[in-house]
Amino acid sequence: MSGDEACASGALLVRANAGDTAAFATLVRTHQRLVHSLALRMLADRQQAEDLAQEVFLQLYRSLGSLESEEHLKFWLRRVTMHRAIDRLRREPKLPVAPLAEAEIVASESVDGDPLLERRLRALVAELPPAARAVVLLRYQEDLDPLEIAQTLRMPVNTVKSRLKRSLAELRERMTAAAGAVP
Amino acid sequence: MSDHDFERQLRAALKPVNPGADFTARVLTRIAAEEPARRVRMPRSPAMAGWLGFGLAASVVVAALLAHQWQVRRIEQGREARRQLIEALRVTDEKLDLAYRVVNAQPHAATSPNPGA
Repeated sequence: MSGDEACASGALLVRANAGDTAAFATLVRTHQRLVHSLALRMLADRQQAEDLAQEVFLQLYRSLGSLESEEHLKFWLRRVTMHRAIDRLRREPKLPVAPLAEAEIVASESVDGDPLLERRLRALVAELPPAARAVVLLRYQEDLDPLEIAQTLRMPVNTVKSRLKRSLAELRERMTAAAGAVP
Repeated sequence: MSDHDFERQLRAALKPVNPGADFTARVLTRIAAEEPARRVRMPRSPAMAGWLGFGLAASVVVAALLAHQWQVRRIEQGREARRQLIEALRVTDEKLDLAYRVVNAQPHAATSPNPGA
């Protein structure tokens, strides 16, 4: 993000905190992709993800005064989304841990990649335990390094590294097994 | 497949996706529906927070002083009640003593010789 953009976001935060609804709407539009994607991949359910993302922005509305900058806002959004998702999965462990809705799959398939492979990978990520899934999503969806992931999830950085390593190995192994099973 | 390729595929598979249309409008509607009831916000400036803390501490001190005064008053009331009880017992004792003496004196007067008989 350039200095001007950061400045503009900072100004938006100030205006939203002062009660400017249009400024808050702009903040939501800017960050809805981040929050919604994390919620969707964590919960693997479109309706639940929509509800969770709305809750996160509702909490943001109430916490505007405590946020200092664009970077702080993004860090806050990631942390709140992940913790709320993990809490929800703990409260309702029977949430579907299944391949995502078809509409989402179609919407996120890349033009140049292998759609079937990507679909299979998303399904496998959705089957990881919640904490491991959170680590993988922050690493490969949000492109955070292990230290940033550790700060976001409030866990030791060595735990993040070991979970990443173990999850990658598991994903590769299951991908290989699935490929071998295809006639 | 190399580690690098696998990670690249994972990144491609996990590309962020947009929520449905009108997501922002739905968020604003929900805020409008839920916020009025919870509109109470704590003061945000450090100065106001400081005054709030001072006020809270002062309230605690005043409450402690009032509780102490109430306790002292109860002890004093107990002492006063004890004093009144002792006084009442003393008066009763005197009356009983007087009555005893009167009762004892009457038989003595009745058995004495009547000078007029």
